[in-house]
Amino acid sequence: MSSSTVSVSAATPTQHPFQRKVDEIKPSKADINFVVMDYLISEGYPKAAEKFAKEANLQLPAEEESIQARVEIRKAIHAGDIDTAINKINDLNPQILDTDAGLHFALLRLQLIELIRACTSAADSDIAPALNFASSQLAPRAATNAGFLKDLELTMSLLIFLPADNLQPQLAELLKPSLRREVASKVNEAIMTSMGTRGEARMRSLIRLRRWAERQARDTGKDLPPTLPLGLQDADEGMHDANGNGEAADIMVQ
Amino acid sequence: MFRRSSYASVAAGQSGQANAPVRSGAFAHLVNTGSSHAPSAHASSASHSRHHSRSLDADGHHHNNMSRSWGSSGLLPSCSSQFGYPGGYGGTTQDATPSFFVPSYLRGSKHAEKLEEVHTARVAAYREHRSTHSSNAASLSTSSSSVNLHRMSGSHRGLTHEIVERAPVFADEPVAPWPTKWNEADKYAQLEIEDSGRQAKFAGTQKPTDEAASVRADYPMPRQCGIYYYEVTVVSKGKDGRTIGVGFSATKIALNRIPGWEPQSYAYHGDDGQAFSGKADGTPYGPKFGTLDVIGCGINFRTGTAFFTKNGHYLGTAFRDLKTDTPYYPTVGVKKLGETLRANFGQEPFAYDIDKMVQAEKAAIQAEIAQAKADYEYSHPSDETSLIQSLVGQYLAHDGYVETARAFSEEVVEEAKSLSDADTDIPYIGTEEDLDAINRQKTRAAILDGDIDKALKHTTAYYPSVLRDNENIYFKLRCRKFIEMIRRCNELTAQCRPVPTPPSKRSTASTMGKRSSTATDEYDFEMELDEQLGVHNGAEQWDDPADHMDDEDDLEDKEARLAQLTQDCIQYGMELKSEFANDPRREVKRALEDTFALIAYENVRESALAPLLEVAGRVPVAEELNSAILVSLGKSSSAALERLVQQTEALVNELADDGGPGAFVNVRRDFLQ
Repeated sequence: MSSSTVSVSAATPTQHPFQRKVDEIKPSKADINFVVMDYLISEGYPKAAEKFAKEANLQLPAEEESIQARVEIRKAIHAGDIDTAINKINDLNPQILDTDAGLHFALLRLQLIELIRACTSAADSDIAPALNFASSQLAPRAATNAGFLKDLELTMSLLIFLPADNLQPQLAELLKPSLRREVASKVNEAIMTSMGTRGEARMRSLIRLRRWAERQARDTGKDLPPTLPLGLQDADEGMHDANGNGEAADIMVQ
Repeated sequence: MFRRSSYASVAAGQSGQANAPVRSGAFAHLVNTGSSHAPSAHASSASHSRHHSRSLDADGHHHNNMSRSWGSSGLLPSCSSQFGYPGGYGGTTQDATPSFFVPSYLRGSKHAEKLEEVHTARVAAYREHRSTHSSNAASLSTSSSSVNLHRMSGSHRGLTHEIVERAPVFADEPVAPWPTKWNEADKYAQLEIEDSGRQAKFAGTQKPTDEAASVRADYPMPRQCGIYYYEVTVVSKGKDGRTIGVGFSATKIALNRIPGWEPQSYAYHGDDGQAFSGKADGTPYGPKFGTLDVIGCGINFRTGTAFFTKNGHYLGTAFRDLKTDTPYYPTVGVKKLGETLRANFGQEPFAYDIDKMVQAEKAAIQAEIAQAKADYEYSHPSDETSLIQSLVGQYLAHDGYVETARAFSEEVVEEAKSLSDADTDIPYIGTEEDLDAINRQKTRAAILDGDIDKALKHTTAYYPSVLRDNENIYFKLRCRKFIEMIRRCNELTAQCRPVPTPPSKRSTASTMGKRSSTATDEYDFEMELDEQLGVHNGAEQWDDPADHMDDEDDLEDKEARLAQLTQDCIQYGMELKSEFANDPRREVKRALEDTFALIAYENVRESALAPLLEVAGRVPVAEELNSAILVSLGKSSSAALERLVQQTEALVNELADDGGPGAFVNVRRDFLQ
């Protein structure tokens, strides 16, 4: 470590007045640690949460009880093992899927997609399991709900197009991992809500507030600098994906 | 008595404002014969409490009392409402809630928090001042110039300054107060203001020549509230009249006319139920009103509209397109002698459920914010997740939570892998702990353990420029070291001179003797000491068998160590003093005075300076050093997540200043807790 490190003043001569207002705000570390802990617990990062409790000298919140189950459910959904996921959700609280028909349908549809994927991967495979599953599990539900029906029809059309290299975007969406991620996160929120806590991590609300506030401020002509970077890039050289990173910071600008 | 008012206006931080005049201050009730139940006893009871208030202040200041007292300030009994906001100190007894009220619908709002903070700081400054001038009985004349004094004089004890200096500088960023009473200086002459400014009466025997008599409140309705609302009760409509106008007007609008008839004046009239906006022709609006009716008037600054209520019923929007840059004062006017109106600016519960309206407004804003997510996610489904993961990962690394950062990174990678074919999508969160992170964490840990020497050593070894370039941090570390030494002295003192145990304990102690001793007195004493040690130090103390071989030696040993430590402490104190003695900066002098004052107490824990010894005091020092090291490495002093919170707060403030949607958002309360 060289001793000749030159410390560069962060203040530029032409600092925007808004930037000064930003700098004047001193968020409390306790608040930020709280938001981080809340995020680790509610989105299921048990090891990090445990370490964080130790390093930052915080209490592990009560929601921690369900964290292991939630992590396993998330894993199962991410891996496409919907059967396991549904069983685990019902072990935790059968009410969750009973009361949320949309969520249950989303899970079953994910399962159907996996079945279709499996039976169309080889030329000689049998599509009967997919058809049976669709008619026994999804069709009765779709009969009562137009949205479900549309989703089911779209999903079934995968049977006709697969295997294919160029699927139309609507169909390609169904095969993307982001759909699993989305469903997994909805399931997680539903479990959290069923336990009487806020379903969503405060971190997400905060990011949304930030985005909303900037858009509002720009729309009403407040005097803001052209961009409000978070400084994710300069502070963390360890990031591999510099591109995605830059985009992430730009997101907030929008 | 007249000097009183100058104090009040200075205290309000608004000396330039319209309320400069006579008798608007805290002690108005003392001279106002019309106020029937003004407790003049308060003034004297306040004086008795001065000695208490000193230690209270010391505590409050170090425990950040400003926010803590927040919850208790809600709805005050109506008697305290006699003291208006600008100078309510007259009623501050030792444990009484200061006379500051928050209208029910504004509780929990950011603006209310800001006003509360300003108020608390002022009360603290005032009390502290009072207690440092205790040689004078609390005669009113002593305190008349109090608020000015603390800014000028430099000769008091350090602690006083500390507290006073930490009070927000009001001039820089005035927080708009809300109306608290009718303004004696902004009324039609023949109107009498009674009941500490709450009641306005058209008095006198002469039939007035002017057509009406109006009065404005002491402050405009603050836009930063988003919605502002007040109510007026028609106490008496007089013999044959009922032309009563309730509304709001800009400053300087003629007061010999009924509100609503002049430009920039808006009102709802009782005689015909019409709404008037700046001209003598009204538009049909609501029912007529008269004696004992409760009329509410509110502005929604976000939508630029105004509404009225009658006896708890909403009457609909009365005015639209209000100018958002004009300050509007609550205004009422009457026409006939004897007509009397009583205002409720939030000191009491409202007849109309205004809380519900504000809640609905908040809910609408929250829904709008939630919508921002839906819109966004539609086009960028997974970016939010990766953004959050980057933010959290970077925060953990930045702030030196090395182990957590590693665990988090592993879990994120694991999650990414479980999404089988998605590995490419998810950026790997790099938390390869560089040497710096570990060094910084060690330094921080040392300070948090109270081992300042170690922290200084680490910093000098790894980041030599930091202490050189940040003299104030160096100074703070040096002071902290002194404090830590005093802490250790105190601990040892407590061990050497234990407080006497209750008799029952004493007897058990002597009956369960474990070895013989020559002097019974001494024996007893030592047993107590053992108990003390057992209680205070637990296992750690028992770990060292040498300590128990011979307690006599142990005690001597401790006393010797204490003597040595005290010696070191004084030695170090002198070094510290000589090192910084010539520093011209006031804050340095003050901090030194505070720190050195510690040595004067045998048991600091029971003194007013106890908060200085708190372990929690290590945290800010550690954070400041961490930030300075980061800056010296060319990195940002705050993590991206921190910046995000800062930006969010600043943006919401921007949206709140003109009464926009930000007024309905309290970032900390709604999003961070």
